[in-house]
Amino acid sequence: MLLSCTVNGEKIEKEIDPAKRLLDFLRDDMGLTGVKEGCSEGECGACTVILDNQAVTSCTVYAGQVMDREILTIEGLEKNGELDILQKAFIENGAIQCGFCTPGMILSCRALLMEKPNPTREEIKRAIEGNLCRCTGYEKIIKAVECAVKGEVQ
Amino acid sequence: MKELKYVGKRLIREDVYDKARGKTQYTCDRKLEGMLYAKLVLSEKALAEISINTDKAEQVPGICAVYTHKDVPKTKYNPHNWTPGVGAPEDMYILSEKARYVGDHLALVVGETKEAVEEAASLVEIVYREETPVIGLKAARENKENIAFEKESRCGDFGSLPLENLIVEETAGSTQAIHHAPIEPHIALSAIDETGNLVVWTPCQTVFMVRYHICSLLDVPYTKVRVVKAVMGGSFGGKGLSVVEPACAFASWTLKRPVMLYMDRPADITATRRRNPSEMTVKTAVDKDGKILGRFIACDFDGGAYYTNASAIAMAFSKKLFRLYRIENQTIEARTFYTNTTPGGSCRGYGSPQAHAVTEVNLDQIADRLGMDPCELRLKNVVLPGDDDPAGGTNLGDARIRECILKGMEEFHWKEKRAHIREKNTDRYAYGVGMACATHGNGYKGGYPELTNVYAQLHPDGSAEFRIAVHDQGCGTVMTMQQIGAEALHMDPYKIKVYEADTFLSPYDSAGTQASRVTYVCGRAVQEAGEALLEKIKNAAAAVYGWEKNRIEAEDGMLKYPGTDREECRTYGEVSKEYEKKFSRYLHADIEYEPDSNPGVYCAAFAEVKVDKYTGQTEVLDLLAVHDVGQCMNYTLSEGQIEGGAQMSLGQALFEEIGYDGKGNVKSRNFSKYHMINAPDMPKVRSLFIEEHNTDGPYGAKSLGEVVAVAPGPAVANAVNFAIGSRFASYPITPEKVVLWLENKEKE
Ligand code: FES
Ligand code: FES
Repeated sequence: MLLSCTVNGEKIEKEIDPAKRLLDFLRDDMGLTGVKEGCSEGECGACTVILDNQAVTSCTVYAGQVMDREILTIEGLEKNGELDILQKAFIENGAIQCGFCTPGMILSCRALLMEKPNPTREEIKRAIEGNLCRCTGYEKIIKAVECAVKGEVQ
Repeated sequence: MKELKYVGKRLIREDVYDKARGKTQYTCDRKLEGMLYAKLVLSEKALAEISINTDKAEQVPGICAVYTHKDVPKTKYNPHNWTPGVGAPEDMYILSEKARYVGDHLALVVGETKEAVEEAASLVEIVYREETPVIGLKAARENKENIAFEKESRCGDFGSLPLENLIVEETAGSTQAIHHAPIEPHIALSAIDETGNLVVWTPCQTVFMVRYHICSLLDVPYTKVRVVKAVMGGSFGGKGLSVVEPACAFASWTLKRPVMLYMDRPADITATRRRNPSEMTVKTAVDKDGKILGRFIACDFDGGAYYTNASAIAMAFSKKLFRLYRIENQTIEARTFYTNTTPGGSCRGYGSPQAHAVTEVNLDQIADRLGMDPCELRLKNVVLPGDDDPAGGTNLGDARIRECILKGMEEFHWKEKRAHIREKNTDRYAYGVGMACATHGNGYKGGYPELTNVYAQLHPDGSAEFRIAVHDQGCGTVMTMQQIGAEALHMDPYKIKVYEADTFLSPYDSAGTQASRVTYVCGRAVQEAGEALLEKIKNAAAAVYGWEKNRIEAEDGMLKYPGTDREECRTYGEVSKEYEKKFSRYLHADIEYEPDSNPGVYCAAFAEVKVDKYTGQTEVLDLLAVHDVGQCMNYTLSEGQIEGGAQMSLGQALFEEIGYDGKGNVKSRNFSKYHMINAPDMPKVRSLFIEEHNTDGPYGAKSLGEVVAVAPGPAVANAVNFAIGSRFASYPITPEKVVLWLENKEKE
């Protein structure tokens, strides 16, 4: 099918197999390798992207389902070379170790902040409950989001 | 000690900028011209003779090869042997001739696209002639032939103690199979370079080990194989042994094309390595004052289907048990059995998580019997700085476990909480606090070859580089080394480049990122190389400018000299330039380093839990971990280790387990069934450090990355036991077990 959708602010049209996973479409056809694959069944959150303002696991969405919709990946977060406040906060707070969970983690948090600019600690935890991280124990990730919310970022 | 300028600071590591932007290229993100994909076909049976028909798979368009045992070299290896000298028995082929566990590597499909490879993999026909597998330790013990390794370690004579006059407490317990669960599954990429060398990029922990395995299997000289440590999406020991590299290299070498061998999560759980499950009994004899007079431990490990670390896990386990408490008479009988399950391998903490899981519960039971506070009992028995290892291991060094306990008690308000926590109890919830201690090592000194080499250079632009075979697993090793280098050289750490391991570029290192040796051994080596390089810079300046060497001061990348009328300053870069021009010399230092010591590193963890008596669920409300770290290299990174290590240890205590059915099928093949702790279930972890040490590590540092994953688990077990009066020493303490225990208690 001819897919038309918006990826990181850019309108695109591409001939695709609608049964392809959104994950593969983004990584292989669009070259957006910031989208990571950790479990392939919606359980680890590494492949999280934002679809019409909602965090989704792109391994469980088919490319055919994103017709006329808007997708945001980690590559689309920075604007004119300026990092998103969450990206800065993750960097400054030691929220990134191996970094494999990071893109998905940041996008889950970004989706949360789109909906709720002032989340509580509990809400932050819930927003990333589907994002597994083996390195950090989550604490510095939560702290990073709290700092971003409070604007305590350089 | 003089004030540190770069070490111990919360500097931001440089790799995170790209990681935050999704720009970092992990192995899975790379594409080489003409690159093929490869996937292993795994056994679905735990024990069977096999015949494989690859005809249909080969016919899939785009498939280049389907390999089975008949195609691979008839050489065996042991993926655990990181250098030939380790010498553990070799019993594994690149592709097995027989299925020995569910997940055994039976075939390798190579093709132009992932789609073709996936389809072909599903078309490989394997006929299994099943035999009765050995699943679990109970079955393994039925036949002596299943013993892969056994060893008794001892000090004093436990047998001669008058047990009848002593208080003797016996605890039986077990630990489960654990999946390392790096979010990046195993992967490797291999290619032939422009001069015919075989190059392998892999997120591994020891490039020289991978080179050894590939060279011995493919019969290629060391000089023709380049193994490059790739960006790593976590390891936790899972990528510590070779797993996919030999097969990947074999395919690439045979087809003369780049090959990427990838795994999915079920393969990562079933077909790589795992933390060895263990079953043990611990018998401790104390006098009425709580002084431990002797201990006897018998422990069986499930080694899985191949030898791998059968001896190493038993030895690593045993050794640690002599290094936490002063026990004059102790005997440890450790055995490792072959079974038809995933082979064991290194896993964060290597033997320590098993060693402390049951012994620490046993100590709480003793305290309970004596009516003594568990902290007081431990304080009476812990080792002290300078103690020797009674079993002949290396000296314990500046062992500060006593302070860990004392500081933890104070910060946690231990006595008060222990006395009053139950007042919070309701009909439904029971509250408890518990603590546990742990020890781990600092490298291989005293056990295996322990050396590393550093080649450091100072360039005319004022930047410096350190070549040392380090492998950053994600924990920030490179930043740590930059900070150490900066401290030694008195210069900006961000002007220092630390290259990660590459067998063509890095000087030899004996053991890679294993055994908690990186900060302690490699870090100290970097410090010494930095100091030697600074000496050379000063010598060069003395020669070039005619300065008196002992009057030269170094600061912030600059040499300062008190000239006759005013201070003269030269940047390191200027010195380098002038030196080369005048003397035909380039500024570099080259050192080989072997540590003199291998002290213990210690932790005391304190936990508060809330047990839901209706559902059996345990919630960890608070966790405090006090580490005898010597000197933190970077508090942000150190806390990160402790918080992440706690996630793993609490997982062991409460949730994680690779489960098998009686036929050896793996029940938890993905994260839907393998329960890793997620953010809502993770308590806030508080970290405290005991610093200002005398150690041989860089600037007084000791290891941290593994000991962090040991004590929180048993601390939680002790807290649960305190909360409901249970005696759990078998992990994980799942809601089902708690509910069952409460039901039985009611019946009594
Ligand atoms: S890869 Fe999609 S959730 Fe894990
Ligand atoms: S940083 Fe490694 S998994 Fe999260």
